[in-house]
Amino acid sequence: MRAATSRRSGEKRLGAWLVVAGLLCGALGALWAMDWPVESPKLAATFGTPAAGRVVTGVAIAASNGLVRSIDDGELAFAFDEATTPSGLPSTLGSFAVVEHPNDMAAVYAHLLPGSVSDYLTTVKRGTILGSVGASGWTEGPGLLLEIFDRRKSNWVNPLLLLPALPDGNAPAIRSVTLMNGEKSYALGEAKSVPQGTYEIAADITDATDAPWTAGPLAPYVIRLSVDGTELSREVFDVAFGKRGRLSLFSSSPRLLSELRTEDGRYLLSEHLFTRGRSIIELSVEDIAGNRRDMTWAVSIQ
Amino acid sequence: MEESGTKRLAISGIILVGIAYFLVCAQPLPKELALIPVWARGLADAPATPASTPALGDVHSFRLGDKFGYFSSSGKILFSAPVPFGLALSSDSYALYDKDSTGFSVRTPTGSELFKASIPGYPFFAAGRRFVMGTAQDSVSELDSSGHRAWTYEFPSIVTAFGASPGLAVFGLMDGSLVGLDRSGKDVMHFSSGGSSIPGIYGVAVSPDGDLVAAIAGLDKQRLVVLEKRYSAYRVTWHRWLDSDFRRPVAISFTSDGKRLMYEVPGGVGVFERDSRKGYTIAATTADRLGLSLRGWNIMVLLSGSQDSRRLICAAAPDRRLVDIPVSASQTFINLDGSSIYLGVDEDIVRLDLREE
Repeated sequence: MRAATSRRSGEKRLGAWLVVAGLLCGALGALWAMDWPVESPKLAATFGTPAAGRVVTGVAIAASNGLVRSIDDGELAFAFDEATTPSGLPSTLGSFAVVEHPNDMAAVYAHLLPGSVSDYLTTVKRGTILGSVGASGWTEGPGLLLEIFDRRKSNWVNPLLLLPALPDGNAPAIRSVTLMNGEKSYALGEAKSVPQGTYEIAADITDATDAPWTAGPLAPYVIRLSVDGTELSREVFDVAFGKRGRLSLFSSSPRLLSELRTEDGRYLLSEHLFTRGRSIIELSVEDIAGNRRDMTWAVSIQ
Repeated sequence: MEESGTKRLAISGIILVGIAYFLVCAQPLPKELALIPVWARGLADAPATPASTPALGDVHSFRLGDKFGYFSSSGKILFSAPVPFGLALSSDSYALYDKDSTGFSVRTPTGSELFKASIPGYPFFAAGRRFVMGTAQDSVSELDSSGHRAWTYEFPSIVTAFGASPGLAVFGLMDGSLVGLDRSGKDVMHFSSGGSSIPGIYGVAVSPDGDLVAAIAGLDKQRLVVLEKRYSAYRVTWHRWLDSDFRRPVAISFTSDGKRLMYEVPGGVGVFERDSRKGYTIAATTADRLGLSLRGWNIMVLLSGSQDSRRLICAAAPDRRLVDIPVSASQTFINLDGSSIYLGVDEDIVRLDLREE
């Protein structure tokens, strides 16, 4: 009886070790899974940053010159070079290459310098030159847009989940939170009381504003909004998917990317009916490195 | 005496048979096909701004390198203007746009403004319809006749190919799927190509009546898929594995009469005959102007080759060359109308008529 128990406990321990070893391997694998496509990247936008009426579904790296390299081994699946390829379809991505990487991950390297795309390639190794940084297509500045598409799940994946982590010790900044009702708006912290009614709650949030690798306002990774202890929204910027002609952010309640941002670039988090009394509004924001900032406001509803 | 009568009879018989053969069996010599030059115009002398008065006859658009404009079938060049960055062009309107365009004007060939559209992205016109590609290459909007957004469709991955008829616009995606949208933006067709180790769509064509959709799909191996509308659904009606390994946009197009599909293959142009469901290849160097057929003639016209070494080929099925002439130019275009071929070569436009003589 004791021997059986001891054997069972030994098997349990072995199982636990295997799980830990598997997790470690997975973590290490994830850590070194891919390389940055450019040297010393400076991020201009990340998955979730507003751009032309919606949000970015990749990572934009600001650079005026330099080489673009494959982030992993793979195979060139598609190359479009404005300078050499005739096409009746305009390309807002400019000159771009699509490389098929392991695990059914397809990476799009966009806004390359026309004439530089290595369209003669078939198989590529990690670090193979795919072209040069450019400003082709519709872009807010010179650099590279990297997007990663998971073919198995048919969705866009936040590249920061797969690329080597950049050093970041600062929590995201919550610049403001506003209750909006038609033309009236109340900034939390300034307005102590607001009339009762239904309000849209918008937040101005940026991440890593002080990091040396930042070249623009970046998106956080998780935003949680609660009112009086009830979670109203939880946006996680990890994957986006297309369904029935709309692109949505994958979360517990999928949000359309086009409806996630206000025109001035704030996150539109939720709509809530505030009734007379006192309401506690809590906002928790986390970046991809795990740095977190929590803020709470008490508002008197008249 | 009797012998000479038999001879006479035999000779008369031969002559009679000869006359009868001539009257009954003889056919006139077939007329020869000829390509007749009608006019040639230089663009250097053309006005740089649109003329306010319309030209007589049909109006055709052209783009030659960094220049675009319109000309009439009678040979009047309405204008030849530079393209600063981007151009959407059709026979009835055009729009110039900037690199980071948030809006543009759509104008007629005479230069008058039809409307202004305020949508970020790049416009493109096809099959009498006006579209705007979204800034991330993963969404498309269609404009109504007053320039407002009629609909917007967001695709699950980026758009790599496109084809349209007046009633159906089909978008090929990086993920290997085809999405067909009707005039109201409703998806009426969805197809995911399989069988290749890497999915992808490299070229799309839609027949003028919208009943056939063809696509070059996948890598390792690449294939041609033809879908046909049966009742309300599109189903695969023909497919063929290809020897090609194109990793770039591929030229594919239906002829204007919709009877044939022409597509780029290594070393030539592949042809799919709609009626017989048969395929064959016309040997030629790479062709980027395909799918043209002369109305009323059972002849395919294509401009093959690449910069500086092009050939104008007119062929009858299957691969019977009727015309094969070199075209020496770095920039070219070709338009067909009736039995006329309009050929643009660098700074000149030429009209050639196909006639039987």
